[in-house]
Amino acid sequence: MNKLHRFAAGALAALLAASLAGCAADDGTVDLTFQIWDVAQRDGMQAMCDAYTAQHPDVHIEVQVINWDEYWTKLEAATMSNKMPDIFWMHTNEILKYADNGKLADCSDIVETEHFSDISLSNASGSDGVLYGVPKDKDTVGLVYNKEMFDAAGVAYPDETWTWDDLVEASEKIHDATGNYGYMAYADDQLGYWNFVYQAGGSILTPDKTRGNFLDPGTRKGMEFYIGLQQNDWCPDQNYFAETSPGTAFFSEKGAMFLEGNWNILAELQNYPDMVGKWDVAVLPACPDPVSGEGRATISNGLSYATGANNPHLDIVKDVLKFFGSEEGQRIQGESGAAIPAYEGLEDTWVGVFDEYPIDVQCFIDMFDYCIQSVNNAARPEWKTDVSDTLLKIYTGELDLDTGLAQMQEAVDTASAEYYEEDA
Amino acid sequence: MQKTSKLSRDGAVWGLLMVAPTIIGLLVLNIWPFIETIYMSFSKSLPFGEFEFEGLDNYIEMFQNPEFWKATGNTILFCILTVPVGIFLALLVAVLLNSKIRGRTTFRAIFFLPMVVAPAAVAMVWKWIFNTQYGILNTAFGQNVGWLTDPHLVLLTCAVVQIWSNIGYDAVLLLAGLQNVSQTLYEAADLDGASKVRQFFSITLPMVSPTLFVVLIMRLMSSLKVFDLVYMMVDDANPALNDAQTLMSLFYRESFIAGDKGYASAIVVWTVLLIGIVTVIQFVGQKKWVNYEV
Repeated sequence: MNKLHRFAAGALAALLAASLAGCAADDGTVDLTFQIWDVAQRDGMQAMCDAYTAQHPDVHIEVQVINWDEYWTKLEAATMSNKMPDIFWMHTNEILKYADNGKLADCSDIVETEHFSDISLSNASGSDGVLYGVPKDKDTVGLVYNKEMFDAAGVAYPDETWTWDDLVEASEKIHDATGNYGYMAYADDQLGYWNFVYQAGGSILTPDKTRGNFLDPGTRKGMEFYIGLQQNDWCPDQNYFAETSPGTAFFSEKGAMFLEGNWNILAELQNYPDMVGKWDVAVLPACPDPVSGEGRATISNGLSYATGANNPHLDIVKDVLKFFGSEEGQRIQGESGAAIPAYEGLEDTWVGVFDEYPIDVQCFIDMFDYCIQSVNNAARPEWKTDVSDTLLKIYTGELDLDTGLAQMQEAVDTASAEYYEEDA
Repeated sequence: MQKTSKLSRDGAVWGLLMVAPTIIGLLVLNIWPFIETIYMSFSKSLPFGEFEFEGLDNYIEMFQNPEFWKATGNTILFCILTVPVGIFLALLVAVLLNSKIRGRTTFRAIFFLPMVVAPAAVAMVWKWIFNTQYGILNTAFGQNVGWLTDPHLVLLTCAVVQIWSNIGYDAVLLLAGLQNVSQTLYEAADLDGASKVRQFFSITLPMVSPTLFVVLIMRLMSSLKVFDLVYMMVDDANPALNDAQTLMSLFYRESFIAGDKGYASAIVVWTVLLIGIVTVIQFVGQKKWVNYEV
C-alpha cells in the first residue's frame, strides 16, 4: 500500500513538474480564439487575422466557426462559465443582453468613431450608449427580381423611380403573362414588413425604443399594405411560405421578386450557377403617399467584433480589435466579399467583388442614404415570437388588422416595461 | 460467523463500487438536473443562468395562458391519435412476421428500418411527401391539400409519421413476446377445434399482454414528450404552428428562443406530472388486463 502511495505521489509530482515546464516554455506568444458563425466569411476573417499576426508574430489567432443555431447557446454557456472566446462576432439581436449585463469589454477607446455612421456605432453600443464592440459591417435590404419574367411580361425593370403601385402593377402583369408569382410578400420582419412600415412613415418602436409604435397611422398603413398583398392572386399566401421559402421559390423560377439582404447575394450567385445572369437587384420601391417622410427606407443591420469584460489578455485583444476596425482591417474584409465594411468610404471594396458577375449591387450601397437601423430593444427576445405569432394570426384571418396591431403593441409594451419602467 | 459477515460486507462494498458509475451518472445527469428544474420552475430567470426565487408566479402565468392549454390539448390529442393505432398496427405486423411466410427476415428488416434512420431525416423526407405544391401525395392524387399548413390536419399528419416511425420497434418487442408463447397451447386449441381468431384472442393476446403493457407505457411517454418530429415538420413561419405546438415545443420556444428558463421549467414539471398521472393510471389499470401467468 505504502509503495502505491509513493508511486502515486511521484506520478503526481511528475505531472505537476511537466505542467510547470509547459508554462516555463512559454516564449511570450499569446494564443487567441476568434469565434464567428458564417462559414462563408471564414476566409475573409482568416485573411484579416493573418494580416495582424504578420505584424505581431507573438500573437496567434484561431478562427472557429460555429453555426448560427448553436452559436448563442454556446456563447451564453461560455459566458456563464467565464470561458468566452477572446474575440467573437456580436449581433444586434443579442448585444443588449450581453452589454447591459456587463459581459462585454468597453471598446470606446479603440473605435475611430469619425469613420463609422451613427447607425453602425449604435449597433455596437449597449443601452447606456457606450461602445461594447468594434463595428464590423453593415447591410441593407434590396429588391431581387427575375429579368426573364419582366421581359416576358414586357415590364420595365425596377429602378429608383418605383413605388408600391409599380410593384403591384408589375406583379399583376407578370402573373398574367407567365403564370408565375409576382412579388412574394413573406411574413418576415427584417426582410419583409419592417421596410414597408418605415417607408410609410411609421415605426416599430417609439424613437426612444422603450415602447411599441404599432398604433401609429404610418405603421398601420405599412402593415395594411404588406399584409394585404397576400390577397392578390400573384402573391403566395403564408401557407405556401411555410413549405417553400421565397428564396427557394425565386431560384426555382416560381416567382419574380422578393426582398433579400446583401449578405446573401454572393452565396446565391455561387449556389445557383444556372440562374446567374437571369436576375438582378434594385433599390426598394418607395411609398407613394407616406403618412410622413419621403417614402423611402430600407432596414440596415450590422455586426460588431467584441470581447469579454474579463478577458485575461485584454490589452492584446483590444489591439487586435483596433486593427479589425481600422481602415486596413476593414479593407481586407470588404475585398474578401464577406460583407460591406462598416468603415465609411470602403463600400466599393465589397462592390468590386461582384465585377465578375452580371449583377449590379451598387443599389445596396445607395440605400445607405436613407436606411433605418434594424429594430431592437433589450426586451426584443421576449416580444419577438409574440409579435410574429400575432402577425400569422392576422394573415390567417383569425384576428383583424386593428386587433392584431393592438396585440402586438401590448406584447412589446409588456415585455419592454420590465426593462425600461424605471427610466420612463 | 464473524468471517461470513465480513465477507458479505466486502461483497456489499464491491457491489456498490461496481454500480457506482451508473449511480453517479444517474445522480449527476438525471436526478440533480431534475431537482434544479423544479427549483427553476419557482424562480424568475435572469440572463446568463442566474435565478431569483419568486414562488408560484410561473405556474400562475402558465395556467392563465391559453397557449399553454392549447399545447396540453395538442399533446393529449397527439397521444390519442398515435398510441392506439400505432400499437394495433405494431401488433398486427408482429403477428404477421411471426407466421411462416416467405422472406420473413427481409420483412422484419424492412419494418425495423425506420428505427435506424435519424428522426430529422425522417421528418425531412415526409415533409417533401406532404408538400402542398410539389409533394408526391398531392401530385399522385391530383389534390391540393395543405397537409402541414391546414390547422385541422397538421397534427394528424405528424401523427402518421410518428406511427410509421415506431411500428418497427414496437413490432420487434411484441415479436419477442409472441415467440415466448408455447406452441403446445395452440396445438391444444387446435385439438379443441378453436378458430384462428379465437386462438388470437384467447391465447395470443393474454400471453403477449405483459409485453403489450411495456410497449404501451413506453409509447405513451414518448408521445407525451414528442418534440423533434414536430419541430422538424412545422417551422416557425407555419400559420398552423399553434395547432401543432406540443408541450415540449412550447418548452423549447420559451426556454431557448424567448430565454425564459423559469417559465419553461414550469412547463416541464407539468409535463412530468402529466406523464406520472398517466403512468399511475396504467399501472392500476393493468391488473384488469395484463396476464402474468405462463
